[in-house]
Amino acid sequence: MTSLLAAQLLNGLAIGMIYALTAFGLSIIKGLLNVPNFAHGAFYALGAYVCYGALQSGVPFALALAIAFAVPALAGALVEKLGVARLMRGPYLYQLLFLFGTALVLEQLIIIIWGTMGLSAPAPEWLQGAFDLGFTYLPRYLVFNGAMAALTIAVVWLLIERTRLGSQIRAGIDKREMAQCLGIDVSRLVTAGFALGAGLAGLSGGLVLPLLGANATMGSEMLSIAFVVLVIGGLGSLYGALAAGVLVGVIQSVSSVFVPSASTVLIYVAMVLTLMVRPQGLFGER
Amino acid sequence: MTFDHRMNRRTVLKAGLAAMGSSLSGLSWAQGAGDTLTMAVLSQQTGTFAYAGDLVLKGAQLALEERNGSILGKKVNLLVRDDEGKPAVGVRRLTEAISSDKLRYFIGNFSSAVGLAELEVARQEKVLQYAAGGSEDFTGSRCSPYTFQWSAHAYTALRATLEYVSKTMPDKKKIYTVTADYAFGQSLLHYTQVAAKELGLELVGNDNHPSGERQFTQYFTKALSTRPDIVCLLTAGADAVTAIRQFHSFGVKSVQIVGPWTLEVEQMRELSPAMRSGMILGLNYYQDIDTPVNTAFVKRYLQAYKNVPSYAAAYGYDAMRTLFLAMEKANSVEVEAVIKALEGLQYDSIFGPTQIDPRTHQTVRPYYVVQCKAPEAMKNEFDLATIVAQGEKPQPPELNECKREA
Repeated sequence: MTSLLAAQLLNGLAIGMIYALTAFGLSIIKGLLNVPNFAHGAFYALGAYVCYGALQSGVPFALALAIAFAVPALAGALVEKLGVARLMRGPYLYQLLFLFGTALVLEQLIIIIWGTMGLSAPAPEWLQGAFDLGFTYLPRYLVFNGAMAALTIAVVWLLIERTRLGSQIRAGIDKREMAQCLGIDVSRLVTAGFALGAGLAGLSGGLVLPLLGANATMGSEMLSIAFVVLVIGGLGSLYGALAAGVLVGVIQSVSSVFVPSASTVLIYVAMVLTLMVRPQGLFGER
Repeated sequence: MTFDHRMNRRTVLKAGLAAMGSSLSGLSWAQGAGDTLTMAVLSQQTGTFAYAGDLVLKGAQLALEERNGSILGKKVNLLVRDDEGKPAVGVRRLTEAISSDKLRYFIGNFSSAVGLAELEVARQEKVLQYAAGGSEDFTGSRCSPYTFQWSAHAYTALRATLEYVSKTMPDKKKIYTVTADYAFGQSLLHYTQVAAKELGLELVGNDNHPSGERQFTQYFTKALSTRPDIVCLLTAGADAVTAIRQFHSFGVKSVQIVGPWTLEVEQMRELSPAMRSGMILGLNYYQDIDTPVNTAFVKRYLQAYKNVPSYAAAYGYDAMRTLFLAMEKANSVEVEAVIKALEGLQYDSIFGPTQIDPRTHQTVRPYYVVQCKAPEAMKNEFDLATIVAQGEKPQPPELNECKREA
């Protein structure tokens, strides 16, 4: 029993890192724009589909993952520059509706290009198979997935905490007007931040492709989980999403030992409990 | 917020569909009821299984074309209605069609829940339903004089699949089941237990997963810790596809994956050939069934639609064709007379010699076990699997809950 729990904990950590990565992108955008990015799920789906497209045309897996980051990041930059930025002065609802519309457009574009049938792409050969833990197995790809997500988060953390661009982004999130007064070009910063967030969503989509496949509804499915993670982590906290993502993955995985049919609903229970006990989220300040 | 917007979009769509529906009914009304017979394909045209409704219709249209659009001198007015995969919508569309179009016969439910809700309307309004779906209730606890069931019984399905497994892999005895947590999955689980007991197989554990689950690795981590020989997936649709993808990522070759009622051809195509290769599946229908009626059907279907028929298309065709045969036998299109003709009817269907149980209204037909082909063994893109066995053992009478008298 203990060993099974340990295995589920590892499984949960690996799943949780993906949730964390997706929600981290959402968190960055939320921080910069103060608008929940309703198109985040669509960027995630776009990542999965372009990764699939790249793999089909013979591109090596690592490069396909880079494309899964780059294409949604570029799309994100365009969406921000051409749409969100122009609506900045208008009421909050306009940006929200614009992002929602963007999600619908992206979803339909995906359907037009790739159809409604789900698609599958296997993991590269060197990542196939599982680690034999003696009492059960843990898929190699799942471990890779978790590790890649963790690595990406670490890189982004370094970028935000240790570089000039990062400190500007943080300034933009914390004290927007002050940053502007200090001569920081906040609008470019917001575009860069939006692109980064969308790119992270796309990378998550590419990473999960061998496990979840690509299908038209995957965006909205992930969006709801990402929002749960964001709420549990705390809407005002940049890094809360990381801990909350891992927590959600672990809850989902470990609970399947005891109450498998409730493992998904428990995530939402955790969100409701957080809102009741600590409405600002586990790491939120407000 | 997302939810609200969707609701709005849906509401608009619904209004549009309703408007379309009413204009269609206006048309058929104008044709007059005297020399026409109204039948319907009431199936899912929108939502996750939207593809199914289209395929049922394609099959039904072929059956109708075979008879030049009429039966016993009456022109068949074939209505098409969308149940959206929701019981309430199915009931509403059916009631509308009965009152405004004088609908007498309908086929097409893809979901058992929808079909069972419509069953009650059919009983009340005395119209004939030729249903499909995995639930045993159609011919069990909720059997009705007005409803017939086209899909094989869950017992027949499980018995056929597990019998093949136990015959060809006598050393594989320990089964772990992963089951969808709704009526369909639980019905399959029940008959897995029955069939496993009959065949001397051991069920070492089960997990129920909620509908719409996207993360299955935790179930498999748990399942594999019991060292099973077989993982049996009692789930369907997108959930099943996701489960198989993730099982594949474990790369555990020593454990056989078995899906007694898990994937239809459409879903098999969503998996890469390597993911499905070697998998043992139970199917209600596969294009390679070697009978005269099926060979002719597949040929004509290929000509008409440039694709091979799958479960939904075969259901549309065969159910419609059977209704026409019964009308001919009865020499009448009156529902009561056709029911009498269908009860105990022996005929050649796409499955070969077939009959209909006069009491439960179950179509007594075989269930097919297929093994998915390795990528290099596929002759063309349609060649996904080989039929390796078929079973037709009916549900043991003591397990049937239908209270009707023959």
